[in-house]
Amino acid sequence: MTAHGTDEAAPAATTGAKPVTATRHLLAWVAGIGVLSVLPWLAVNDYHRFLLDLILINVILAVGLNIVKGFAGQVTVGHIALMAIGAYTSAILATKFGFPFWLALPSAVLVTALAGAIVGIPSFRLEGAYLALATLGLAESVRIFISANDYLGASIGITDIPPPSLFGLRLDTHLSYYYVVMPLALAGVYFSFCILRSNTGRAFKALREDPLAAAAAGINVQKYKTLAFVLSAVYAGCAGSLAAHMTPGFIHPNSYMLAEMVTLLLMVILGGIGHIWGGIIGAIVVTIVYDLTRDYYNYQMLVFGMVIVLTVMYMPTGIGGIIDRYIVTRRFVALRKAKGDAA
Amino acid sequence: MLLEVTGFSKHFGGLAAVSNVDLNVEEGEIRGIIGPNGSGKSTLFNLISGVYRPEPGGTMYFDGENVTNLPPHEIASRGISRTFQMLRIFSQMTVLENLLVGHQRHTRYGILSAIVGTPAVWAEERRMRAEMMDLLAFIGLADYATMPAGELSGGQRRLLALGRAMAMRPKLLMLDEPAAGLSPLNVDKLLETVLSLKERFGLTLIIIEHILKVVMDTCDLVTVLEHGEKIAEGTPAEIKDDHHVIEAYLGKEMKDADVRAFLRG
Repeated sequence: MTAHGTDEAAPAATTGAKPVTATRHLLAWVAGIGVLSVLPWLAVNDYHRFLLDLILINVILAVGLNIVKGFAGQVTVGHIALMAIGAYTSAILATKFGFPFWLALPSAVLVTALAGAIVGIPSFRLEGAYLALATLGLAESVRIFISANDYLGASIGITDIPPPSLFGLRLDTHLSYYYVVMPLALAGVYFSFCILRSNTGRAFKALREDPLAAAAAGINVQKYKTLAFVLSAVYAGCAGSLAAHMTPGFIHPNSYMLAEMVTLLLMVILGGIGHIWGGIIGAIVVTIVYDLTRDYYNYQMLVFGMVIVLTVMYMPTGIGGIIDRYIVTRRFVALRKAKGDAA
Repeated sequence: MLLEVTGFSKHFGGLAAVSNVDLNVEEGEIRGIIGPNGSGKSTLFNLISGVYRPEPGGTMYFDGENVTNLPPHEIASRGISRTFQMLRIFSQMTVLENLLVGHQRHTRYGILSAIVGTPAVWAEERRMRAEMMDLLAFIGLADYATMPAGELSGGQRRLLALGRAMAMRPKLLMLDEPAAGLSPLNVDKLLETVLSLKERFGLTLIIIEHILKVVMDTCDLVTVLEHGEKIAEGTPAEIKDDHHVIEAYLGKEMKDADVRAFLRG
């Protein structure tokens, strides 16, 4: 299954092989859900379960960032601030207003979506590095605002954010929390595939490649740019809220610094910009490597930054791009062969 | 009258790229626009398609509706489709996806149902894909449907650009130098494709072209621009004999006496 501009359903429609691919897709999803359901029971200890939760939250973040950066090609560095807005909205609603998690999460998503629309406004006029600078400015002001605001816990952070509870059961272990995060991550990935394969996804890709040609083809460029920012903000808000309510229920402004944004960018770039699977692989790999190297915290950013530069220079389409290239080449060779046989 | 453009002007700095041009095109007509390099042909296209805004005083009516100053996507959604001189195909998307982007305005599902992936969305996607595969077969690119458009050859890209513009199911199709850079054989093939598309979908066409043969053979009426101004308009036969046009293309005629004077120094 490839995400980048290829689609298996197209030639199948003419050959009548379509039901087979549909069944295969369904089987893949069922198998995926099966494996994910038993995964935490295979984990050796509670720390690994915590890591699993973290990986899934990062998958949600990376898949969301991929929509605005990968599909729509808008270079934003403000994604981590959207996550902060989601986390803080959820935390404040839960600790100060007594919202249960199941209400705090959707409210946080809603607020973040609104913030996403605001972060997207500079994209009407700015492109590339300039847009990156503008979104970086917005992101840092959010973080500094939080660090300086006593109501939001300032530099102490917010503690004792309650975990979600279901039928009186507190989901405060990493094992039980996994079953809150996992379905949301799965849904996020599924929706992301739906978006990519619909006209919305095609509109995103069109405005990434050539906004003028997209407009001439009848696509409202500003509307779709805003939509890309809003959709990715929904993912960020959801991930933020999930991170806040996870035991020990503590958030701090330092979790939303530029370094975290770089780590997030690394997930998407290493995995392959615009590839859903690539982004997921990137999120898994980077989260694990980040955890393994946390004793060398001072050098982490040095290494991550170098990996980004090297990836962009020597592997610009990332892991997903290499897989994609392989599939396209194979298809091209097959086409050549078919033509040769016919002649 | 399908398209009524009155008094369109556009200056870049002090230079008048288009000045006070009128253009009236009847439904079903094939209109040619010719003129030397820099005479304002492409600028006129950009004005009509909404890429540039005309200066105050210019108006444009399409199908009886005032569409002056509308943004490009609004103009496109009224049924005016165009190609670009530089093609501007989406090279990282597949050939089929390029057409689907063009067909977007005919999609009958909303963003929310697209995100959730309802069965209605899949049914509509199948309809669109089948229809676009049809169009691809018509322009002869069906074999390449799942290829990234960037892998196509130059001639195939021109066809794809034409296909994407046609995928919009436009009433008016504007082609900006559709045959540029093609070999004579391919020029004929492309013209054939354009004419059969016109026949099949009942199009009105405006064609900018440098290859005079294309314009003279296919167009009902020809408009000639020079320095942003309309200097002549008429049937191809009339245009051929118009001395303004000959001057624009070949320069002023020299009298025998002048030549002799020139040679003597």
